[in-house]
Amino acid sequence: MKKLLMLAALIAIAAVVVACAPATTNPPAASSSSSVASSVAPTAVPAKAVKLTIWCKEGGVDLDWVKATAKTFESKNPGVTVEVINKNVEDLRNDFQTAALAGTGPDLLWTVNDHIGVFATAKLIAAAEDVMGKDYFSKFVKPGNDAALFQGKLWGVPISAGNHLMLLYNKNLIKTAPQDTDEMIKMAKDFQTANPGKWGLVFNETEPFWVAPWIGGFGGWPLDDTKIPAVATLGTKANADTMNFLASLRNTEKIIPLEADYDGADGLFKDGKAAMIINGDWSIGGYTTVTATKTIDLGVARIPKVKATGNWPSPMTAGVYFLFPASTKGDKLDAAKAFVNYFVSKDVQIDFVKKLTRLPALTDAGNDPVVTGSAILKGSFDQMSVGKPMPVVPEMRCAWDSWKPNYQEVLTAKQTGDQAAAKAQAAAVDCISKLK
Amino acid sequence: MSSITDSKTTSKLARSPNIDVDWQGLSRNLPMFLLVVGVIWFLISFFPMQKALTTDYMVSSVTDVGNFLLGLVAFFAIIEIVLYIVLVRILQWRYALAYMLLAPGAIGLATLFVYPFIYNIAIAFSNRSLQHFLPGAYDYSLDYGITNFTSVFTGNVLHDTGFWEVFFRTWVWTIINVTFHVLGGLGLALLLNRRLAFKGVYRTILVLPWAIPQVIAALALRGEFHYQYGFVNNMLVGIGLPRVEWLNEPIPAFIAATISNIWLGIPFMMVIILGGLQSIAAEYYEAAEIDGASGWQQFRSITWPLLQPVVAPATVLGTIWTFNAFNVIYLITQGGPAEKTDILVTALFKAAFEFYRYGQGAAFAIVIFFVLFSVSAVYIRMTGALKAVTE
Repeated sequence: MKKLLMLAALIAIAAVVVACAPATTNPPAASSSSSVASSVAPTAVPAKAVKLTIWCKEGGVDLDWVKATAKTFESKNPGVTVEVINKNVEDLRNDFQTAALAGTGPDLLWTVNDHIGVFATAKLIAAAEDVMGKDYFSKFVKPGNDAALFQGKLWGVPISAGNHLMLLYNKNLIKTAPQDTDEMIKMAKDFQTANPGKWGLVFNETEPFWVAPWIGGFGGWPLDDTKIPAVATLGTKANADTMNFLASLRNTEKIIPLEADYDGADGLFKDGKAAMIINGDWSIGGYTTVTATKTIDLGVARIPKVKATGNWPSPMTAGVYFLFPASTKGDKLDAAKAFVNYFVSKDVQIDFVKKLTRLPALTDAGNDPVVTGSAILKGSFDQMSVGKPMPVVPEMRCAWDSWKPNYQEVLTAKQTGDQAAAKAQAAAVDCISKLK
Repeated sequence: MSSITDSKTTSKLARSPNIDVDWQGLSRNLPMFLLVVGVIWFLISFFPMQKALTTDYMVSSVTDVGNFLLGLVAFFAIIEIVLYIVLVRILQWRYALAYMLLAPGAIGLATLFVYPFIYNIAIAFSNRSLQHFLPGAYDYSLDYGITNFTSVFTGNVLHDTGFWEVFFRTWVWTIINVTFHVLGGLGLALLLNRRLAFKGVYRTILVLPWAIPQVIAALALRGEFHYQYGFVNNMLVGIGLPRVEWLNEPIPAFIAATISNIWLGIPFMMVIILGGLQSIAAEYYEAAEIDGASGWQQFRSITWPLLQPVVAPATVLGTIWTFNAFNVIYLITQGGPAEKTDILVTALFKAAFEFYRYGQGAAFAIVIFFVLFSVSAVYIRMTGALKAVTE
C-alpha cells in the first residue's frame, strides 16, 4: 500500500511539473513574404507561438487544397500552427454551439452564410466588420457582401461567392443543356430510352435547398426576411406548384430516381449513370478531377426556365465565409486575421479558382482571365446572376424544417402540393413563434 | 479473538491494507505489449493510404491526449493521497480503503452524470433558446418550468407531431425489437449450445453485427434499403415480389429501421443467453430424460426458469437501450419520412439542437428519464432483481 501511494505521489508531482513547464517560445514571426500579393492588408502576426484551430466545411479535394494552402501560410508565418478540421455543415452548426458553451470551440470558422443568423443571434460570433473594419469589405463582390449582411452588419469575410445550385451535365452523354423544363423532360426521356438503367436527371431529393430554385421559377420564395421577425411564405400557390412539378418529374415523367439523397445523386453522376445533375458549385472540383474526367466532360448551365411561367429558377446564392468566434481574442485573433488576409489575397484566390473551380469573392480575382476565360466559371456566374440571396435569419431554419417533411410527402404522393404548402406554412409559423 | 473486531488489528488494517501488486507479471507482459504497439505503428506507417496518419500527427495526438490523461492521473493521485491522510492516518477509519477505492468512480459519476442531470433540471426551468443562449442571457423561474413541461405534453415536440404519438411509437418500437432480440437470441443460443462442427466459426459470424461499430452498420443498412440499388429490394425482385419504397413510406421506413435494429441487437442477447445456458447443470436434463420428458417439457420446466436470472436483467437492459436507440433511427431514416419514424430520443435531439428549444428539450429529457425510471423500478420490484443486494 505504501509503495502504491509513493508511486501515486511521484506521478502527481511529475504531472504537475510537466503541466506547469513554460512553453518554449519561438522567435518573432517574420513579416509577410514578398510573394504575397499587395492586396493583403498589413495585419500584425503574433510574436509568440500560436495554434490556430479552424473548422472548415470543405471536404474531399477541396479540403486537401485548404490544408495545403494553410501549410504555405504556416511557412510564411513561423510561430503560427494551423489545424484545419473538416466538419460537414450540419455538424459544424451543432458542434460549434456546444463547443462555444464549453469555451473549447475553434478559433476561426470556414462555413456557409446561413450559419450567420444562428450564431449571431446566439452571440457566438463577432461581426466581421468590427474585427476587420468596414472599409476592408470594399474589395469584395457585392453578392459576397450582401449574403453576409444581418441586422445591418457584415458578419463574415467572403471566401467565395455563390455556393449556388446550377445544372451540371455530362457532355459525353448529352451534347447541350436544355433551355426550359419541357426540353429538359424530353431530353431526359430520350436519354433514358437510349440508355436503359440510366437517369436523365438526378439531384438531392431529400433536402428543400434543392426545391428553392424552382419555387423562384414559379414566382415564390420561402421566407420574407425584410420583416422582423421574418415571415414564412410557404403557403403559396407558387410553393404548391413547385412541389407538384417536382413530384411529376418523379412519378409521372419518371426522369429522376424514386430515391436519391446527395451521395446517391452525386455517385450516379460520377459513374456516368446520370446525364444531368442539379448540384452546387462546391461539387465542381469533384467532377473535374483526373479520375472524374475519364467519365465526365462537364458542362455548366442555368437550371432550365420554367415553361409554365417563363421564369428562370433562382437558386439561393450565398457563399463561403470566414466567421470569427466571439471567444477568439488576443494573439489568436491576430493570427486568425492574418490567415483570413492570406486566403483572400489575389494570388490565393486565383489559386482557389484554378483548383476548386469556384467563383472568387475578391473583385480583382473575379476580373482575372482565369475566371473570365473558363467556360465552367462563366456558366456558374451566369446561373448566379439569376439567383437570390439566401436569407441568413434564424427563421430560415424554421422554413427548411417545415418544408422538408411536407415536400417529401408530395414527392411520394401522400398529399397534394396545396395540402403540403398549407401544412408547411402552419408549421413554419408555429416554429418561428417559438424561436423567442 | 476475532481479528475483525479487535481495535488494534482494525486500525492496523486501516493503516496498511494488504494489497500486492504483481510487479513480476507486469514486467513479463510489458515487452509483449510494446512489441504489439510497435507492429501496429509500423503497419500504419507502411501503408501509403494512411498518408494522413503521419508520425507528426500521431505524436501530436498522443501529446494532446497524453497531457489530459496525465492531468487526470495527477488529479486522482492527489485525491487518493488526501483521502489516505485524512481517513487512514488521522481518522483511522475501518472503511477507509473502501472509500479510497470508490472515490475515483464516484467523482467520475458525479462529474459525468450527476452534474449534467442537475444542470438539465435547471435548464428545464429556464427560458433558454437561441435568443437567450449564453450564460447570463437567460433566466430561471418556476413559471418557465411549468410552461416547458406543459408544452411537452400539450404542444408539438416536433414540427407536426405531438408527444403522445411519439411516445406510443417508441413503445411499439421497443416491444417489437426486444421481443425479437430475445426470441432470436434464445433460438441461436439453443442452436449453439450443443455439439456442433465449426461452432466457433458460427459463433464468430453471429457476433459480427455486435462487433461492427453501430454507425457503420446503420449507414450500410441504409444503403441496402435503397429503392433501386439496395440488396433488400433486389432480393424481393428476385423472388417475384415488387420493390418497396422503404425509406419514403412511413410504415416501410419503420420496418426497415426495426429490421436493422433487430439484426444489430440479436448477438448481444445470444451471447448472454448462451452463457446462461452453459451454466445450467447437465444433471437436470439427464434426470428429465430419465423421467421421459420431451424437449419442449425440458425447455419449459428446466431451461426457461433457470435462464430467468440471466434473461431478466438482459431484457431490462435491452428495453432501456432500445427505448433510447438514437443511432439506428437517426442514421437510417432521420426520423422521416415526415417525422413518422421519430422516437422520443430523436425527437428530443431535434427539439434541442435543430429547433433550438433548449428549455422544452430539457423538460422533455426529464420526462423520458422518468418514463424509463418507472419502468425499471416496476420491473425490478416485480422480479426482485435487487433482493440479494438489500437482504
